[in-house]
Amino acid sequence: MKIAGTAKLPFTPERAYALMQDPLILAKAIPGCDALDKTGDDEYRLKMKMVLASLSGSFEGKVRLTAPDPPNSFRMLVEGSGKIGFMKGEGLIKITAAPDAGVDITYEGDAQIGGTMAAVGNRMIDMTARMLIKRFFEKLASEPA
Amino acid sequence: MPVSSIVKLEKLVGKRLRRREDPRLITGTATYVEDVKLPNLHHAVIVRSPHGAANIRSIDISKAQALPGVLAVYIGKDIVGVGTVPCGADLPGLRRPAHHILAQDRVYLVGHPVAVVVATDRYIAADGADLVEVDYDVLQAVTDPEKALAPGAPSVHPEWPDNIAFTFHQNGGDIDAAFAEAEVVVKQRITSQRLVPNAMETRGVVADWKSNDRSLTLHTSTQIPHLARTLLAGMLGIEENRFRLIAPEVGGGFGSKLNVYAEEALMGWISMQLGLPVKWIESRRENFMVTIHGRGHVDYLEIAAKRDGTILGLKLKLIQDLGAYHQLLTPAIPTLSVLMMPGLYNFRNIQAEIIGTFTNCVPTDAYRGAGRPEATHGIERMVDILAAELNMDPAEIRFKNFVRPEQFPFPTATGLNYDSGDYANTFQKALDTIDYQGLRTQQAEARAAGRFMGIGISTYGEICAMGPSVATPAGGWESATVKFEPSGKVTVLTGTSPHGQGQETTFAQLTADELGVPIDDIVVLHGDTSIVQYGIGTFGSRNTAVGGAALFYALQDMKEKVKKFGAAMLKTDEVIFEDGHCLDPKTGASVTVQQIAGAAYRGIVIPKGMDPGLVVTKFWEPPNFTYPFGAHIIVSEVDPETGQIEIKRYVAVDDIGNQLNPLLVDGQLHGGAAQGLGQALWEQGVYDDNGQLVTGEFMDYTMPRARMMPWIESSHTCTPSPVNPLGVKGVGEAGTIGSTPAMVNSVVDALSPLGVRHIDMPMTPEKIWKIVNGSKA
Repeated sequence: MKIAGTAKLPFTPERAYALMQDPLILAKAIPGCDALDKTGDDEYRLKMKMVLASLSGSFEGKVRLTAPDPPNSFRMLVEGSGKIGFMKGEGLIKITAAPDAGVDITYEGDAQIGGTMAAVGNRMIDMTARMLIKRFFEKLASEPA
Repeated sequence: MPVSSIVKLEKLVGKRLRRREDPRLITGTATYVEDVKLPNLHHAVIVRSPHGAANIRSIDISKAQALPGVLAVYIGKDIVGVGTVPCGADLPGLRRPAHHILAQDRVYLVGHPVAVVVATDRYIAADGADLVEVDYDVLQAVTDPEKALAPGAPSVHPEWPDNIAFTFHQNGGDIDAAFAEAEVVVKQRITSQRLVPNAMETRGVVADWKSNDRSLTLHTSTQIPHLARTLLAGMLGIEENRFRLIAPEVGGGFGSKLNVYAEEALMGWISMQLGLPVKWIESRRENFMVTIHGRGHVDYLEIAAKRDGTILGLKLKLIQDLGAYHQLLTPAIPTLSVLMMPGLYNFRNIQAEIIGTFTNCVPTDAYRGAGRPEATHGIERMVDILAAELNMDPAEIRFKNFVRPEQFPFPTATGLNYDSGDYANTFQKALDTIDYQGLRTQQAEARAAGRFMGIGISTYGEICAMGPSVATPAGGWESATVKFEPSGKVTVLTGTSPHGQGQETTFAQLTADELGVPIDDIVVLHGDTSIVQYGIGTFGSRNTAVGGAALFYALQDMKEKVKKFGAAMLKTDEVIFEDGHCLDPKTGASVTVQQIAGAAYRGIVIPKGMDPGLVVTKFWEPPNFTYPFGAHIIVSEVDPETGQIEIKRYVAVDDIGNQLNPLLVDGQLHGGAAQGLGQALWEQGVYDDNGQLVTGEFMDYTMPRARMMPWIESSHTCTPSPVNPLGVKGVGEAGTIGSTPAMVNSVVDALSPLGVRHIDMPMTPEKIWKIVNGSKA
């Protein structure tokens, strides 16, 4: 599944970049995130709850931030598995100063789901992914500038 | 002896009797596997792979083992000495992957069993299964058979990098001459998508090992109790006579339970390990994932003809999606398609190639029709495409090419010998019933008004009554025992394993007529290997045509026995047997069968050369298959704004030979048509490129429902089969085979003004809307 889209954040590029590298901020902004613990350079252990169609369950996995190019772009890899299946996603996140104010975020990547989630939640996964990403950026936008 | 007045009994064969099975089925008192409760019963839940292809790095079962209530957790390396899941099909050069009942070091499909957790109840077992941690090294999967055959595709089984399990060729006549002579050749790629059989009852097993007796009792939802026992006994290394297999009520099979599954052996093995009874009930999601699928064809067809419509020959390249393993008959199913490829048509030149292809999917195997619906869909589509190319009427081109009545028995290009038929007569009856000429006039008016009305014809033939033993992997005969009890009641044991087909009723009708006893005095038993003599089981429309014939011959032998006892009792040489009496024609004296049964067991009057008791067992080998045929016509209209297809009329004329019970024939035809229309319009089993089955529940897999079904105007012609004494042919698959191409031909006909020549199934509203509205599907 391809994931791509845009979002707006009311920050400078430097502030936006820094927020998205901060595990405490990410833990607050990722919907359903219970914990995000640093396990290495740019690598975090993730625990999150996921609700998809008739399924719900917790995931354990990892988040990796790679290819840092502050304050312009970085890559993010998220993978996790739990009782209801597994998910894996990777994408490039770009930050550009918006002509009016704040920054424009564009993201582009691939995601894969498997197990019961794929068998049962496939109809919903597109919408669910878009909704989760939207919530993530909304939450991020509420951080102080 | 007193002279009694003999009352003529009403004949029951041919009557629309309601099923004697129905009261228990519709009041919820029937016993399915899930209803089997044993003292100290334990429950198993299976941990399955979420990946289409992966190496197993490690499995940690410690947390599951520590869960209170969990008795045992087993993984692949524990299963020592258990045989692999059997495949009964044998083709030259067939590659057979070892199909272990638990994955060893690699998984080959989503749902592959990796571990099993046994606990005191099912919920604890499920919690335990969640605690099993499997570390996978995920590999690239391949799920599309054509992609699997492409160079550089991932290998399903690394030892066979080309993903080809077998190639199979069948040629008849002179195909090169036929194509050289042809004035027109039409080609088309036609698919027959994966279908999920979806029996209402999922699979289930209860295994009960008694170590002191070294005996295993296995309750399992199967269509083949005796064959399953033989094969499972081999896998588990136990003797057949210490292995009782019971198929209790079976809630639908459609071929998906014509199999031997890993879980059946696994539960037997676990019970033997623990010395406890163990139950496993398949969930609906597991049923979608790991019970066999049907169809899975990509066919490349070419038909050669003369300009007058005479078909000269057919070429077929059939790419069969086998899945990751061979189940019991997986590789054999496409060979049935090839056999049936000539349809009802009088051409002798054929060239067929099957490429059996491994994919990271659940195996395909027999599903209602098993190879014949795919063949009929292919040939019936091609005939319509040819008619369109020649600007001929699709009815006319069929009449031109039918095998004619005087040609029977007709040897086909694929080596079959069609037994009997008058195809033109049956087809004409269907055309007359639906007023074909009138419909074409209506269609012209509808088209002038901008409406999309279609008339779709399918004239099908099929192979039933499976089958002569030489043509089957495990024997094609059937058995029956008829027993008079001392009271004169009759018990019939059939080697078939009816599960909805209604033989408890039809076999009782036949027995009542032959023996002259009231139907209420007759009980038909089946499905328990400790009660019933060996039998082959239920599939391929064989219950009545083979099992019923075996019963018929057993009843004839029984009548001879009864007559000998009757003559001895009446102290005469010759008696007439009718209406449940033996009558001495010289004196008019008679005795009833009930009196004779009592005397035969009392043992005082034993005819010379006879033994006491009244029991007959007959095994009967059929000399040939039977070949039912028919014509289905569907009138439909497409709504261009929504893509919805409305079925306006459905006329079916089927020639299935004689009928024991027309009510049950209707039921079979209606159910079959529902499954055939399901394929044409809605159903599809879809895997994504990573091996995930994305149609894994009823929200994503559209099953036909009662409100989606048309009224079926069903009638018959009757050419009794010469193959068996009942003159029956079989009706289990007719509806499925006839309906699908009629539906597709109807919609293609409706959309032909747009230049549409072919539509692949299922013809969902989305697909139809895109065609009508010109965007690419």
